[in-house]
Amino acid sequence: MAVSFVLVGLLGDRLKKLEHGGWVAVGFAGAAMVVAVLVVAAEMLHPSHYSDQSFTWLQLPGSPGAFPNGFSLVIGVLVDPISALMLLVVTVVGFLVMLYSIGYMHADRGLPRYYAELSLFLTAMTGLVVSDNLLEFFLFWELVGVCSYFLIGFYYEKPSAASAAKEAFLVTRVGDVLFLLGIFIYFTIDATAGGGLGWAASGFKFVNGSTPFLAGAMGGSSTLQTVAGLMMLAGAAGKSAQFPLHTWLPDAMEGPTTVSALIHAATMVAAGVYLLVVASLFLGFTPDDRLAIVAVGGFTTFFAATMAVVHPDIKRVIAYSTISQLGYMVLAVGAGFAMVGMYHLFTHAFFKALLFLAAGSVIHAVGTQDLFKMGGLRRPMRVTAAAFAIGALSLSGIPPFAGFFSKDDVLSSVYTAAQSHPAYWPFLILAYATVFLTAYYIFRAFFLAFSGDKTRDPTLPHPHEAPWVMRLPLYILSGLAIVAGVFPFVPSFASLLSIGANGNVPPVFGTTDLILSALSVGLGAAGILLAQALWGNGRVYVLAPESALQPVRTILLNRYYMKAGYDELGLRLVYGGSRIADFFERYVIDGTIRGIERLAARLSGTLRQGQTGLVSDYASYVVAGVVGLLILLLFVAPFVLASVGGP
Amino acid sequence: MFETDFIATFTPELLVLGAALLIFLLDVVGVRRLEAFGAVAVSGISLAFLAVVADLGFAPLAVLRTIPAGSVDLPLSASLTAVTSLGLVFQAIFLVSAFLVALASLSRPSGERGAAVFFGLVLMATLGMLLAAVANDLIFLLLSVEVTGIATYLLVGYTRKDARSLEAAMKFYIVGALSSTLSFFGASLLFGAYGGTGFLVLARQTAALGYPALALAGYALLIAGLGFKLTLVPFHAWAVDVYDGAPDDVSAFLAGGSKKIGIFAFFLVFVGPVLAAPALGRWCSLSRCSTLQLPATVELALGIIAILTMTVGNVLALMQPEMKRLLAYSSISQAGYMLIGVVVGTSAALTGTTLQVVAHVFMKAGAFLVVAAVVGLGVGPRVDDWKGLGRRRPYLMLAFALMLLSLAGVPLTVGFVSKFVLFSSAVQAEGWFVWLAVAGLLNSALSVFYYVRVLKSVYLDAPAPSAAADARLDRPIGVGRTAAIAIAVIAIVALGIDPQPILGGIQSATTHFLQIGA
Repeated sequence: MAVSFVLVGLLGDRLKKLEHGGWVAVGFAGAAMVVAVLVVAAEMLHPSHYSDQSFTWLQLPGSPGAFPNGFSLVIGVLVDPISALMLLVVTVVGFLVMLYSIGYMHADRGLPRYYAELSLFLTAMTGLVVSDNLLEFFLFWELVGVCSYFLIGFYYEKPSAASAAKEAFLVTRVGDVLFLLGIFIYFTIDATAGGGLGWAASGFKFVNGSTPFLAGAMGGSSTLQTVAGLMMLAGAAGKSAQFPLHTWLPDAMEGPTTVSALIHAATMVAAGVYLLVVASLFLGFTPDDRLAIVAVGGFTTFFAATMAVVHPDIKRVIAYSTISQLGYMVLAVGAGFAMVGMYHLFTHAFFKALLFLAAGSVIHAVGTQDLFKMGGLRRPMRVTAAAFAIGALSLSGIPPFAGFFSKDDVLSSVYTAAQSHPAYWPFLILAYATVFLTAYYIFRAFFLAFSGDKTRDPTLPHPHEAPWVMRLPLYILSGLAIVAGVFPFVPSFASLLSIGANGNVPPVFGTTDLILSALSVGLGAAGILLAQALWGNGRVYVLAPESALQPVRTILLNRYYMKAGYDELGLRLVYGGSRIADFFERYVIDGTIRGIERLAARLSGTLRQGQTGLVSDYASYVVAGVVGLLILLLFVAPFVLASVGGP
Repeated sequence: MFETDFIATFTPELLVLGAALLIFLLDVVGVRRLEAFGAVAVSGISLAFLAVVADLGFAPLAVLRTIPAGSVDLPLSASLTAVTSLGLVFQAIFLVSAFLVALASLSRPSGERGAAVFFGLVLMATLGMLLAAVANDLIFLLLSVEVTGIATYLLVGYTRKDARSLEAAMKFYIVGALSSTLSFFGASLLFGAYGGTGFLVLARQTAALGYPALALAGYALLIAGLGFKLTLVPFHAWAVDVYDGAPDDVSAFLAGGSKKIGIFAFFLVFVGPVLAAPALGRWCSLSRCSTLQLPATVELALGIIAILTMTVGNVLALMQPEMKRLLAYSSISQAGYMLIGVVVGTSAALTGTTLQVVAHVFMKAGAFLVVAAVVGLGVGPRVDDWKGLGRRRPYLMLAFALMLLSLAGVPLTVGFVSKFVLFSSAVQAEGWFVWLAVAGLLNSALSVFYYVRVLKSVYLDAPAPSAAADARLDRPIGVGRTAAIAIAVIAIVALGIDPQPILGGIQSATTHFLQIGA
């Protein structure tokens, strides 16, 4: 089943490229979704089921020094509860976004390119999810990165889009390189374990049957393992836009909104969290790793939310929100509750995709992303407004929406972990503060866009509701954003979430939990009320120029100057580097190539000079070669070898 | 003396010889049809291939059969030939390359003169290659190489009317004669140093006497003589002119087939020596064999030559405007990769080299066959003349693209697998061998440049207006040629996706090769 699914993905890509319209792509994405639903159903019927079908591509003998048991390269499909869940997220959101694109991208040029790239992305993403070994995982990891690069730069004529694509590529590359380094460290751990682990011989697989390959075997305390775990965190931080590698995601909003919804909200950015979940369950983290993960996640959550508070661009507000929510997931994984992180990933994918698609609908209608130009859109766009409201309520963690359940789980799992790890407390407090900020910034965006009587900028086109292909995904995602929170109360679905060390999720019952829940709901409600007071009914709250908060706003708008700082650093490095490169290119490379060219030209000139001269030339090369060899063998080599201690 | 064993032992060789004689006989009795000669050649080669495969399948033994030189019961040391499983693997490789060329040549113009000569000579050259693969004596090896050499000199010039071919044949012959002389001179020096030319004698005497200067001089001459076959720098210069000037199918045979005789000769002389006596003790551990057998100086010299060969080949290919010359330079650089296995000398390294040889048969012979097809359509010899062919002949160019990508070592092609095994074996062997892998990797990166240059011309550039209107471009290229190219492409992709079946067989063959006499 899983194999057929991969086949669909691969074949789909080919076919889609042939077809101009997106309907073929939609069809294949839909088929993939059906298969994914079947996979999830099968997993729900057989709890904790691991199905690994793999094919050994290359098998090489080792040597005593390195890989004593030899090593293999394996291509395989691993279906387990985590990959089944992730598969569902990827294909459902993928299918809905494809469908939505039919309406949203209608007027754009380069549609075959768009659908081909989107299909390639889905193929790579599903491949990543079902990879059964670390190398295959990394291969697909790189592939989704490339697709992301292409899609951010879809409007490549726009300089800002091109530069955003480049930025995304470069920043995530920092994470990727560290990730690769981490993989090498795991190799080293295996190779130096005296052949005991046999990990390399198995093809670097995650699980051996149904037990993790490395997590138990490594002992979980060595420095090397801590470093490897930190490298996994770095890789995840690059992909999931965690501090300090978060700068690329807001700029990635230069891509089409559909791409933002699929790749930069629901799936690819979640791949970093997915990596952490997989690493946490199968590779194992040390306590130091966990603290680092909690710190990164907790800080990013708060840090990103603050920036969302002031931003005027509707998509970037949601992008900061994505970074912040990914921080929650990372936080949960670090706290030791990997599946809670996975659960938040699951609900977040739906309500965040919903928010993006609703925002896309708005942008489609009014042709701008500036919140301060919008306003009064509620009446002409009832469906969109309702969808955005549902997404926003879910994001704010208001019951009974999905976000409430998963966010509450995250908070209570961090609370549980903090009982035994006092160092986690500051990050728990940051996480709670973020609940308030989240509710405030998303409803600020909601009121700015939808409340009031009419658009603030009169030059905008008359708004209209989206066509049905765009509305249908909004309905479905709205439904999911409402009910996905109830899923864990279905026993067979809950069994999907109950693997790993802290399997008893979700911890939503009990008195402490009720107080915690009340606190988070209260903070969320307070955030909404504040937003309503400041921005409701079409009001625009203008900060007085002499206000003490003005410098804070400036810092936030400038993203704490981190991007500027990176740019400056990059500029210095790149400019300096490019001067060297320029010199290198002009004199060394050009010189070499010209030299080679000249050499080749001269050589071919010589070769064409006539027959007799030619053959005697060749013969003289041979003779010269023989003489050189004789000298080398009889005089030079013995001398050299004697001086270095050879035989 | 002529027992049934003799017949059984040399079934593949006799089948090929018989087919060759039959072709010459048919020619004498007045048959003029190219298809008839071709059918005899193809079926002879196919039968021989089946015989080899049957032998390989029966017993993965180190020494399968031996043929005594004089009387029946001489010890192995005096035997001129010995059939090893690695030798059989190489026989299979040689036969596949001959098969591809013969199959493709069925599509040559039907009335072409000299068809009998062409197919007959291909078979004679193949016979020499088959014999070299079972050699157990240096002189026997060199004579077998010479059989192939003479047949190929003639093949290059067989068209007789084409001045370029004749010129190429002349060059090939003169440099080849020089190289043969050097080889035999080297063999005589070894005889002087060790008192024999059987590989077992050489091995035994080396263990007793070490490496006197006379022997080192002999080895130097052998590197030169055999390096000519394998197009090692600086003994390579003939190859470009000859591949360029020879008829296209002959180029495919030279690059894909006869050159590989050199690599097996290197195995025998520098990694073997086959059939070291049991009394000499365990010379080769599985991981490391060559320190004892190959003096470190020779090892170093071969390492330098390997790096030189791959680099010179690639650098000269970078700017080469002519397609056949570009492929010839690429072929030279591939010979450098192959030599890595000889230098490293472990089972894994020999496996890598053998796999590289297999890959090269399909990639390079295939590429030359495509060139032959395209030139047959009236396209010029320059890379620029191929502009826009990707749209005009999509399937043919897809095949060509796969071959070039495989040559560049792109994953999911056999070229990637062979390079991966080869380079990783050099890394595993540690010591300065790692630098061979580094040089190989850098060269692979360099080579991507000129392969992509060709692909850009084929796929992205617009065709010249005259070519666009040329109706000849749409002609079919013939059933035989299509089949040969299709087989090559299928092999490249199939072995690239799942190399395990042949990889396992080659691994056990090389392991046994190194264990002989242990």
